[in-house]
Amino acid sequence: MKEFELFFGPNHPGMHGNFSVHLRVDGDTVVKAKPVPGFLHRGFEKLMERRLWIQNLALIPRICVPEPDINEMVYAMAVEKIAGIEVPEKAHWIRTLILELGRIAAHLFSIGGIGGATGLYTFPYWATADRDSVLDIFEHISGARIYHMYIIIGGVRKDLPEGIDSLIRETMDYLESRIPEYIDLVMKNRIIQTRLRGKLVLTREMCEEMCITGVGLRATGVDYDIRKYDPYAAYEWVDFDIPVGEDGDAFTRGYLKLLEIQQSIRIIRQVLDKMPKKGPVNVKLPGNALKWRIPPGEAYAHVESSRGEYGYYVVSTGETTPYRVHVRGASYPQGLYGIEKYLPGTRIEDVPLWLGTMDVCPPEIDR
Amino acid sequence: MNLKELISELKNKYRVLDEKFNDPNHTFVSIVPDQLHAALGELKSYGWKHLSTISCVDWIDDNEFELVYHLWNWDSRSQISLKTRISRSNPHFPTIMHIFPTAKYYERDIHEFFGVEFDGNSEMEPLFLEFWDDIPPMRKDFDPLKYSREKFGERDYKVPFADFIVEEGDQK
Amino acid sequence: MNKRLELPKKSFWSPASALKYLVKKPVTIRVPKTYREASPRYRGFHVNDWDKCVGCGTCAEVCPTDAIHMVEFEEIPTEPGKRNWRPAIDYGRCSFCALCVDVCTTGSLQMTREYIHISRDPNTFFFVPNEKGIHSVEYPVGYERDEDSDLLDLDRVEMPVIEPQERVTSFIEMVRGYSKEQAIAEASRCVECELCRSACPAQMHIPQYIHQIWKDNLDEGLRYLYKTNPLPEVCGRVCTHKCETACSIGHRGEPVAIRWLKRYIADSVPLERYHEILDAKPVKPAGKSVGVIGSGPAGLSAAYYLVLMGYDVTIYEAKSRPGGVMRYGIPRYRLPDDVLDKDIAFIESLGVRFVMNTKVGVDITLSELKQRHDAIVLAVGFTKGRSTKVPGSDHPMVLQALPLLEKIRDYLRGDAPKPAVTDDVVVIGGGNVAMDIARSVARLQKQEYGKVSVKVACLESEKEMPADKEEIEEALEEGVEIHPTWGPRQFLVENGELKGVELKRCIRVFDEKGKFNPIYNENERKTLTASMVIEAIGQAPDYSLLPDEICQKLDFVGARLLTDEYGQTSIPWLFAAGDIVHGPDIIHAIEDGHRAAKGVDTFLTGGNANE
Repeated sequence: MKEFELFFGPNHPGMHGNFSVHLRVDGDTVVKAKPVPGFLHRGFEKLMERRLWIQNLALIPRICVPEPDINEMVYAMAVEKIAGIEVPEKAHWIRTLILELGRIAAHLFSIGGIGGATGLYTFPYWATADRDSVLDIFEHISGARIYHMYIIIGGVRKDLPEGIDSLIRETMDYLESRIPEYIDLVMKNRIIQTRLRGKLVLTREMCEEMCITGVGLRATGVDYDIRKYDPYAAYEWVDFDIPVGEDGDAFTRGYLKLLEIQQSIRIIRQVLDKMPKKGPVNVKLPGNALKWRIPPGEAYAHVESSRGEYGYYVVSTGETTPYRVHVRGASYPQGLYGIEKYLPGTRIEDVPLWLGTMDVCPPEIDR
Repeated sequence: MNLKELISELKNKYRVLDEKFNDPNHTFVSIVPDQLHAALGELKSYGWKHLSTISCVDWIDDNEFELVYHLWNWDSRSQISLKTRISRSNPHFPTIMHIFPTAKYYERDIHEFFGVEFDGNSEMEPLFLEFWDDIPPMRKDFDPLKYSREKFGERDYKVPFADFIVEEGDQK
Repeated sequence: MNKRLELPKKSFWSPASALKYLVKKPVTIRVPKTYREASPRYRGFHVNDWDKCVGCGTCAEVCPTDAIHMVEFEEIPTEPGKRNWRPAIDYGRCSFCALCVDVCTTGSLQMTREYIHISRDPNTFFFVPNEKGIHSVEYPVGYERDEDSDLLDLDRVEMPVIEPQERVTSFIEMVRGYSKEQAIAEASRCVECELCRSACPAQMHIPQYIHQIWKDNLDEGLRYLYKTNPLPEVCGRVCTHKCETACSIGHRGEPVAIRWLKRYIADSVPLERYHEILDAKPVKPAGKSVGVIGSGPAGLSAAYYLVLMGYDVTIYEAKSRPGGVMRYGIPRYRLPDDVLDKDIAFIESLGVRFVMNTKVGVDITLSELKQRHDAIVLAVGFTKGRSTKVPGSDHPMVLQALPLLEKIRDYLRGDAPKPAVTDDVVVIGGGNVAMDIARSVARLQKQEYGKVSVKVACLESEKEMPADKEEIEEALEEGVEIHPTWGPRQFLVENGELKGVELKRCIRVFDEKGKFNPIYNENERKTLTASMVIEAIGQAPDYSLLPDEICQKLDFVGARLLTDEYGQTSIPWLFAAGDIVHGPDIIHAIEDGHRAAKGVDTFLTGGNANE
């Protein structure tokens, strides 16, 4: 049969955000795939070189829309490494809380997206509504639902508000009760089983070749998670498991996300139990924020985002602005190299599943 | 073998120009350009199999680009960022795709934003910027504000910063 | 964890369980029927308390998206430390990060929980926040700055000072000055809003030199200092620092230590490098000469700027050393001789001639001077003390503060014998001179008798006292007693010996118009013992050097000379500057000198100074 060229996205219901894949297809089979990013390029790295250390707070969360907190976290971590800032204990706990809430929100959004790619629309409705309950918590803590701008250099911006404890616990109880319902609704669904089981199988070797992290890698039988392997914030002080699968297929990846939500709930409960009630939540740099200077140096900081390793490489020359900030988006390898290398041979309907279960996040690729 | 010992072993084999530890598990090592590939290959065989990313820094005052290869080892749980500097005037560097295939797009990214040519990496067409018509934008001598003003003109809007009241019922 | 992920078993009843969703309450709400209240910390639209806002513009400075612009409102009155600018926000750019709220110097800017604005008119997205909010509908306050989110550094870098017990034993300078690290840390507290400049009589380039300290470029800092002030060492120590009262950081915290920072620059650059850095030399010889009477701050400042304009300048000074009040009035523990020498040495090195021990009116007449010079700048200062004139004030043990301060400084330099002080002294007055003499006497007493017994009585209440707060605090620390709201009724003399001071209660010092008009309760009295009384209730000028025919031509306002903006009196060749024009204040005198220099230049190059 004759080969066709198919532009998949940026306007396509199965596409995650503004991203495009140019496919050559033979019937329904993909012969060649070429990722086309750049629709969301805003030049953040350049903009950050031209803004004060504190001003970048308004930019960084926008690099990754579904999970903004990791940006704030790695930026702060990298700068703290350069400047040798010791973050107060309570700030570590609050940061952990924020990051795990963010992970739940991102995972819900992402698995909701699987529903979109498979035509099961109840799922995205549920997931988006439940994600909103997490955003409510964010709104109470930071004052905004999406771009929290809450984790700053030296700690967090404000202490947790009074009475947030019970709101978080209630929401966690609710979300926990929802997980069996999600499993009933989606994971056991015949369509999902047919569409996801055994599809887009990656082996450990393939993942290592692409340098993929996150659920993509953990679905192949290893428990690599930066929270455990290079602990930051308060992850050393809490108890949690890393869900691991063996099949390496799209279904396993989707299911792992649900299981990770369970672990996140576990972590959040421990944070609330163990967090000191009093104490400082940040250390201030000398002078006012307009005159903050970070000593010369460089650091690469990385965290485990919902999509894998998320890193910032920050270089300071002792000025009021960073000399260089380089963002390593978690989905960069699977969104570019992975698509080119491993989409050929799959079918057209698997393309959105790759983007969905591998969590290709265009804003963090484009920056 | 911990990271410190490994670095001292590297120093015996390669011309290491500088090393700096952020903490015992995170380090930056500067190396001469022509030995970088060998060092990367050796580190990979020791378990630094995960290439997080490749960064480029424009040290315009030194007329040099710095390429930074961030490696992570899941087994020893440590990070080595190998750095090397190349000339800024005619920036060329051999690709590392044969060691880390995934470097393909990182190198393309750097080519687009800094103008570094990676010999051996054939696909170098722009990835993010459409119809780009200036010097590579992440170079320090590129001024985005000036570019934007020249390209799009100064948008001179007079702002009527007066108080105003929206008609009743429009809101809430 | 088991590696192969197995799903939980499917229940037989699971299809039926779906029925429960029929009765589940929906999580959605009906907008706009139901209004969704935002959280208490919500970062919604801005409100700005215009009464609190001083227009410092720090919000516009910190805004990462350039969404805030300062707009001038002519109807808002301005005063030193308050500008009539108010922030205007472009909601097309605003990212609702609330950095503006966290950095606000006064705390006037806040965000409400209002978050919806829909309009077809794009201009409605430009908004100048006031107390009412964008739609003039009251909403509860949302995001507010708190201690944790504050982006200003409110605490001053502590200035190292010698402890009271130690410093009271000698006249060593008590303030030690900032180190480089301390100065940079203090400079990094400044937001460079420039509000201080309008409060400074000399309009010094305060934010600019603080910025240079922060960048550790003291050469440039010194250049900024000398643009408006040729006496930075002096002003870095004893300026009345009105700038610090205007400092925007002072609204919520301690103002930036502008005076100490100035001192840091002047102290850190050695005199030998001044010429190289400042490159100060006369533009071109003007071929005319100017005589300056008095070598105090006004005279020195006038001489400095005149010599740079190319004039041949001679200063006539009655005393044996130059400096006026800085040399003879201010105590040495506040202003040591060597730093004053440094400032004067630079002025002298530019070619200013000093004629010492020459009192105009006695050693040389004004008309003789007029013959020698093309213009005269009169900068004689307030040199006479005022007397309370209460009964007993003519007793020999009732002294005037200024002559005594002069004697003490002469003694410390070795120019004169030690002035006698008794072991029980009362000082009358609540200004800085009163504090100076009280603390100087305390030091002499400590040296002589081993203990301090100085009592200060003043009409004003503690809040109203004209002396600087820190002066009062330091005096108290050094063991000086202060009795506010008491005025002298009489000095008690028995058998020709001074025994004490009888005081009467002062109920009110200033009348409704703010004029000095004290009212006493004559029945409420108390007595302080004293074997010596020092009056420090104010200074007056001494115009005896002016011949009568000149005096008749001049206009006076009270004790002050009336001049135009550039110091020109009604006699065109006679200019005046300093205390005799604006009352006692060093920084004002420096500015006067600067302006008089401009006036002289205009006069001598032909024309009116006002043109």
